[in-house]
Amino acid sequence: MGRTQAKTMSSMSSPLGVKSLLVFTVLMLAWLAGFLSRLFAVIRFESIIHEFDPWFNYRATAHMVKNGFYNFLNWFDERAWYPLGRIVGGTVYPGLMVTSGSIHYILNLLNIPVHIRDICVFLAPIFSGLTAIATYLLTKEIWSAGAGLFAACFIAVVPGYISRSVAGSYDNEGIAIFALMFTYFLWVKSVKTGSLFWSSMASLSYFYMVSAWGGYVYIINLIPLHVFALLLMGRFSHRLYTAYTTFYILGLICSMQIPFVGFQPIRTSEHMAAAGVFALLNAVAVLKYLQSVMTRAEFRHFFLVAAGTAAGAVFLAVVGLTWMGIVAPWSGRFYSLWDTGYAKIHIPIIASVSEHQPTTWFSFFFDLHILVATFPVGLWYCIKNINDERVFIVLFAVSAVYFAGVMVRLMLTLTPVVCVLGGIAFSRLFEVYLKEEEQSRPQSGDSSDDDEDGEKNNKYDKAGKLRKMKHEQQSSNDGLGVNIRSMVIVAVLMILMMFSVHCTWVTSNAYSSPSIVLASYSQDGRQILDDFREAYYWLAQNTDTDARVMSWWDYGYQIAGMANRTTLVDNNTWNNSHIALVGKAMSSNETAAYDIMTALDVDYVLVIFGGVIGYSGDDINKFLWMVRIAEGEHPKDIKESDYFTDRGEFRVDAQGSSTLLNCLMYKLSYYRFGELKLDFRTPHGFDRTRNTVIGNKDFKLTYLEEAYTTEHWLVRVYRVKKPDEFNRPRIPVSQRKVKRRNVYLTKKTSKRRRGSIKNRPVVVKGHRPKTKLT
Amino acid sequence: MLRLAVFVVCLASALGFNTLVLVDTLATRETHSIFLKSLQERGHEVSVKAADDPSLQLSRYGEYIYQNLVILAPGVEEFGGALSVETIVEFVDGGGNVLVAGSRDAADLIRELVTEVGVEMDEEGAAVIDHLHYDANDDGQHTLIAAPSSGLIESEVMVGPRDAVPLLYRGTGLITDADNPLVLPVLRAPSTAYCYNPTQSISDYPHATGQNMLLVAALQARNNARVVVSGSLEFFSDAFIMASVQTPQGAFYERSGNGKVVEALSQWVFKEEGVLRVVSVQHHLQGEKEPPVAYTIKQDVEYKIKVERLVDGVWKPFMSNDLQVEFVRIDPFIRLIMTPNKDGVFSVTFKVPDVYGVYQFKVEYNRVGFTRLFSTTQVSVRPFTHVEYERFIECAYPYYASAFSMMVGVFLFSMVFLHHKESPHKTKAE
Repeated sequence: MGRTQAKTMSSMSSPLGVKSLLVFTVLMLAWLAGFLSRLFAVIRFESIIHEFDPWFNYRATAHMVKNGFYNFLNWFDERAWYPLGRIVGGTVYPGLMVTSGSIHYILNLLNIPVHIRDICVFLAPIFSGLTAIATYLLTKEIWSAGAGLFAACFIAVVPGYISRSVAGSYDNEGIAIFALMFTYFLWVKSVKTGSLFWSSMASLSYFYMVSAWGGYVYIINLIPLHVFALLLMGRFSHRLYTAYTTFYILGLICSMQIPFVGFQPIRTSEHMAAAGVFALLNAVAVLKYLQSVMTRAEFRHFFLVAAGTAAGAVFLAVVGLTWMGIVAPWSGRFYSLWDTGYAKIHIPIIASVSEHQPTTWFSFFFDLHILVATFPVGLWYCIKNINDERVFIVLFAVSAVYFAGVMVRLMLTLTPVVCVLGGIAFSRLFEVYLKEEEQSRPQSGDSSDDDEDGEKNNKYDKAGKLRKMKHEQQSSNDGLGVNIRSMVIVAVLMILMMFSVHCTWVTSNAYSSPSIVLASYSQDGRQILDDFREAYYWLAQNTDTDARVMSWWDYGYQIAGMANRTTLVDNNTWNNSHIALVGKAMSSNETAAYDIMTALDVDYVLVIFGGVIGYSGDDINKFLWMVRIAEGEHPKDIKESDYFTDRGEFRVDAQGSSTLLNCLMYKLSYYRFGELKLDFRTPHGFDRTRNTVIGNKDFKLTYLEEAYTTEHWLVRVYRVKKPDEFNRPRIPVSQRKVKRRNVYLTKKTSKRRRGSIKNRPVVVKGHRPKTKLT
Repeated sequence: MLRLAVFVVCLASALGFNTLVLVDTLATRETHSIFLKSLQERGHEVSVKAADDPSLQLSRYGEYIYQNLVILAPGVEEFGGALSVETIVEFVDGGGNVLVAGSRDAADLIRELVTEVGVEMDEEGAAVIDHLHYDANDDGQHTLIAAPSSGLIESEVMVGPRDAVPLLYRGTGLITDADNPLVLPVLRAPSTAYCYNPTQSISDYPHATGQNMLLVAALQARNNARVVVSGSLEFFSDAFIMASVQTPQGAFYERSGNGKVVEALSQWVFKEEGVLRVVSVQHHLQGEKEPPVAYTIKQDVEYKIKVERLVDGVWKPFMSNDLQVEFVRIDPFIRLIMTPNKDGVFSVTFKVPDVYGVYQFKVEYNRVGFTRLFSTTQVSVRPFTHVEYERFIECAYPYYASAFSMMVGVFLFSMVFLHHKESPHKTKAE
């Protein structure tokens, strides 16, 4: 390395400046492109927080900015999970709020008044630029600066990452991917240098990651896996030892400072691998030391005995601690990573979340486009030219591919490594096809990047392999003519252009919807459906400030964030039984539901109904999950099979099961819908989402009354009647024991207001009364 | 809201109640003079009108002009003016009190009205018949019942102190749903009574028999409006109040029990008796005055509630030994009996449970004859903040010691290390 630098410094001092200027420009442009392509939602709609979780993050951030950090840390939110409440400070990853809060603070110090909402909206696009830089740094460490620039450009626009970081998508992932990549960069750097400084920096970056996202568990398993793989490959070095021990201890202590994480790093199985590798690394270090002291025979004997006892002891310790309950067994979400069917059987609440579904092959291409095809090439290069840090990227790639296949959501962790490896692949390709002229010259054949690379390889790797590699490449490239080379270059450039077109298209069409404002396109142009905010605003304006709103948990954060009303359950699904209670209320009939609702002091019920506009994400389509979750907790009262027809179909038309047609969710969704005729071709009560005429059209609500229905019927709010509204025990006609035959018709008119009395003595002038007045 | 309502009631009692009495013949004014006079003596502004009077109205400009309505008109087929079953039902839902008397020949309107409050009158023409409990003045059909006072509801507030004098009754039987908690059986029929048309032969089983049949029923609705339904208009009449009773078993009583029961029952139904109210609710930490924004778990809380009872038109402190307060979060975590002081302030001190959440102080006091006493106050109970935990835990002293000794060790060791490194340099330099 030193030699290369000296050479470049001496031979061309100005090109170095040009090169760093180029790097700087490319990174700036990548940042800018990434930032701008995330603004579709803001331009098309407005500067607004999207979806569900971001609303909570925004609300928490606003609370922190208003009340200060310590009040945020101790925030007991009595408006969520009524009547349980939620300790927000202890159940949240505060990194996101602290990040945007400190940005807000700094800007205010500089007398730049920016509303906290705008910071929240634009935080993720800004951090995408930082992610690009972190990716550049990581790729540079692993391969070369050129590959790094490719990777940075890729990560800036790749849909797999944009899906979680468009403007307004104010979620943990937005900053966590930056923290992830930066931690990996610092880790690779510290493994390469073996310096305390870099590994301390890595653990600090890891601390930031822990504070930002639950996905930190991935880091704390991948880095030990890297160390373990290096040990297996016989690549133990004191650099590795220094890097890992420093990182592990500092990272462990730092991560335990986050209240939500607390003692998990030493008490749960997910974190045990890191501790095990730490012990193993120390054991190997001791062995290496002993090896230098003992003779070979002695050492072999000692090694067998020591290894056997140590492995046995560690295994027994882990089993024992788990059995004693000190180390918690793996959590459900973790199991569902290994067995994709696990959640469906045991934890319906996890399975019910759409982003926890297994990934389809289609979404790999949709989210990554050409990179999904090229990243194996980069992987192959890395395996071919293996060294310490490339082992890391290989493990990263393999594990991320597996996890992305299991859960749609984890596409997010795959995307950066795919960009890194895709960058390497394209960089190699361009090296081969663009630099032919230079390569044909003897000795100075490789670019400075490649040369540098070679130097590194010589340092850390068994030198023989790489030289053979180069030899192969050079011989294979010899036969290529100018035409073929230019054709290939043009083709690759076309592919890259198509990649950017695809990225823009996907971003604009798939990932830039705020989902609280819907847009429909027709001949008349764009139509905005703002029903959600209409309903939430109605709640905010027309209900009591302490009113408790029951809805399915998806809408909890939005109700709290936009309507500022108390909710029973929300997207922080920490209490399954409480959610099951709401699910039970929704799936019971009105009378049974009323008992639950009065027990929970519910004032309003909010349901999402898409039958009028054909919105498929409504509560009836989610309803089976409510039933399943309720059945998990109350198997005596709720049975999933009751909601299906005899032939096992879930249908809302006349053939649907009567349990379904009389449950609260059905009634609330379809109340008065039977009177509605959407257009002249369809009959009354035609549900556009499910394309059927509903089965139960005429019904009245006893215990609830319609409070508000939005313009397109998307959100319907009902008021739960209080017990004193059932003031008198009226006896309905059907339950009367004494049946009455004659019906009295009124004789009163607007002029003659006199009533009538039976057998009333009437005075008629001029006549004697017929009855005797004795 | 509750206090406002109570205030209105209080004001009305000071000014005198406005009571509308509807009759089907004005003769009723004479036949029921004792009852009407007792109302006037108790401060009611009684206005007696014919039930078909075309100028009848209960409310004017959205406000009720009467607090009480007495319907002594079993024969009314249609009310005059603005009155109808719906308006009377609205009147009850708006807090008005109603006393309805029926008879054997009560019109459908009255039957319709009483089903709205959970009571059914037996079929037209049917009368309560009891061949064992009848008065000596009976005309032979055994429809003049001398109902034993054991059938009265056990509530001094509603029917006054109990004595052994039977009550005279002639009219139809009332049927109620026994599962209905709001309808109170003021006077049950004797077990040998049944209800049927006395002039017809019995062809099918009577709707109401024995103790399932009521003679007088009362409803206290959920908004504390009170309704009394009697199957007999004559139950309230001067003739029955003044009459003597002779049972077939030979017991003779100078006066029937009707007078006292009618007096007590009318006091109850017009909310002159058995009315409770919550005057004030206070809760705070022990030793403080003002309630905090939120309580912290395990704190000691003092809860006070002041309850008053209306006695002879004046609010007096309510004394009871069975008023309970609950600290509820879905389920009651704490349920304690409160003790009153002489001002009617019930207070209790307890420790907030070790579970955070949104709680309610809930006082709910339902006793037969009394209005429903209900008060909830919502408070949050939060966990410890980060500075409220113990800073140093006793059992962790070894760890503190090890941490500090490690720090000291590192410090000393580095001093020693630096010192030793320096000396060879010095010697070399020298």
